[in-house]
Amino acid sequence: MSEPTPRTRPIIEVRGLRKEYPLGDETVVALKHIDLTILRGEICCIFGTSGSGKSTLLNQLAGMEKPTRGEVRIGGAPISRMSEEQLAAFRQRHLGFVFQAYNLLPGLTATENVAMPLLFRGVPPAQRDAAAREMLRRVGLAHRLDHYPAQMSGGQQQRTGIARAFLARPDVVFADEPTGNLDSKTTVEVMEMICGFARDFHQTIVLVTHDPEMAQYADRIVTLIDGEIVRDETTKRRELQ
Amino acid sequence: MRKQDLFRLCLQNLLRKRSRTFLTVLGVVIGGCSIVIMVSLGIGMKEAQDKLLAQLGDLTIITVTAPQGGHGKVKLDDALVRRLNGLNGVEAVMPRQSLEVDTVRLTAGSANRYVADWVPVVGMDAAQLEPMGFRMLEGGPIAKTGDVIVGQYAAYNFRDTLRPDGANTVDRWSGGWDENGQLTDPPPAYFDPLKEKLTLELANGDYKATLVLHPVALAKEDYSKGSETSEGIILDLKDLKALAEKLHTVKKGASPYQSILVKARSLNQVADLEKQIKALGCATESMESIRKPMEEEARRKQMMLGGLGAISLVVAAIGITNTMIMSISERTKEIGVMKALGCYVRDIRQLFLAEAGVIGLMGGVVSCVISWIAALIANLAAMGGPTPDNFRLALLGGEGATRVCVTPLWLLAFAIVFSVLIGLGSGYYPADKAVRIPALEAIKSD
Repeated sequence: MSEPTPRTRPIIEVRGLRKEYPLGDETVVALKHIDLTILRGEICCIFGTSGSGKSTLLNQLAGMEKPTRGEVRIGGAPISRMSEEQLAAFRQRHLGFVFQAYNLLPGLTATENVAMPLLFRGVPPAQRDAAAREMLRRVGLAHRLDHYPAQMSGGQQQRTGIARAFLARPDVVFADEPTGNLDSKTTVEVMEMICGFARDFHQTIVLVTHDPEMAQYADRIVTLIDGEIVRDETTKRRELQ
Repeated sequence: MRKQDLFRLCLQNLLRKRSRTFLTVLGVVIGGCSIVIMVSLGIGMKEAQDKLLAQLGDLTIITVTAPQGGHGKVKLDDALVRRLNGLNGVEAVMPRQSLEVDTVRLTAGSANRYVADWVPVVGMDAAQLEPMGFRMLEGGPIAKTGDVIVGQYAAYNFRDTLRPDGANTVDRWSGGWDENGQLTDPPPAYFDPLKEKLTLELANGDYKATLVLHPVALAKEDYSKGSETSEGIILDLKDLKALAEKLHTVKKGASPYQSILVKARSLNQVADLEKQIKALGCATESMESIRKPMEEEARRKQMMLGGLGAISLVVAAIGITNTMIMSISERTKEIGVMKALGCYVRDIRQLFLAEAGVIGLMGGVVSCVISWIAALIANLAAMGGPTPDNFRLALLGGEGATRVCVTPLWLLAFAIVFSVLIGLGSGYYPADKAVRIPALEAIKSD
């Protein structure tokens, strides 16, 4: 991040993206034609009601599904055309995920859960556990290092999830309704934590939500209706910076 | 992912569902035990049978004779001995010549007190006795003219001319015999044949011959090598040929030898060697005709027992597959999360294969321990109690040990390796299912 104005460089580029699903004999068009560029360091909120195609768009951006047509590039790499093996390697280095249902592995402790991305990379235990513990301390869970997910509250689990997503300092973190299962007080904590990390490490966040309240945390709000971008606005928050 | 981490994750996953893992391992244990025990029963059967056969004599000896009704076609002579020596798999060849004369009389003791009539007298190549596997109870090799080997029980053929009829012989069977037909306690003969000089008197028509014999060794009874080892006298072939010439027993152009013994290098070569000898036009005889059907029968039984064991292992394999499939459908989301976080497909496959393999390994090891102990108990019970001596026999086997179950180390090693392979094999399909779960599953809410 040595460039003076990194915000102007694109990190995610979407060109002519279309996604259709077969549903019985018919074909459902989830995304019609999406062109979108997300800049490095941006906190971008993809906003829409259920059925608007926002989840499908997230899947496409993160390389979870192949598009029917069009292309997704992250940092110049065409992830929509990668093989499973290439995608796994790419995810290890460049992508992080925060899930609505936290998705911690029940058999692993908080430290082990956070260390997972480094485990997959083949980092030795001592090194990755040290990094994981440091991350857990940052999210305020220094007293929960060896607890299992079932022994933690929802907010604590989501903070563990955030620690996991940011551990490997990925370029982009995808957050899918990260506060969907949390109360309003915890929501504020979690969102501030995500945004705080993003700004500290100059990372890009793609936040998918149906909750208009979330918009206040974003630099930019992309609104989706019926598989099309109907509004793309830069918020005051960004202008303030 | 590092191998240690993979292994640790695999163990953690197995320990998470303890009772399910236990039950699946139990299935493998039952399968493994039944295979090991069945196979060791089979080996035990084989061992008992081999012991029985060994008592019948040397199984590698083939007796070659002239073909019935084919007089003159094949002559049992030195030329044939040379040809037999050149066959594949031959350890030694031993021509046997016996004397076809009118009377044979052996005398021993002072004033020829002890007399035996019709003692079998044969000539054999003294140099071939050892390679043929002739065993001596005591004494040394034939060195000079007149040296002979006497059969183990030859001395019992003599009657004492100073005693009355009906009480002038020693019955070697009077001491009784055990269930294997071995004499248990034969009473001593009138004299020790190795300490006496024997006089051999022969007559064939008008021809007569006498030879003083010096017994040098006592042969061990072995009917596969001829009844002489039990009751007769073995001369060096040279001595016998000289006697035969004196007595004019061999007609011109007839076979000089009555039979030729051929020893195969190993038991497996007997059948093949016998075929080669038959191809030369000779008739043959060996223990193979007894051994073969017995061996086939044993193999059939072993296969049947092994098959029974295999069925339970197949059931265990299905159990592993079932467990793994259940575990995968429970962990669909987890697998999706792992993929989303950048876990390689190969690591996921290896993780599930490792879990199935470890189930197989644990089952294999436990079944080995259990069946080893079960075999030990069965053997001790068959031997009549856990005395220290029986323990040694049950574990190591040996002469006189009648083991029901024989569990060699290779069988245990094989059982473990096989269980692991069964585990990996049954885990293959579930692992394949697991790697096809998309990362998308992580996002789906249920």
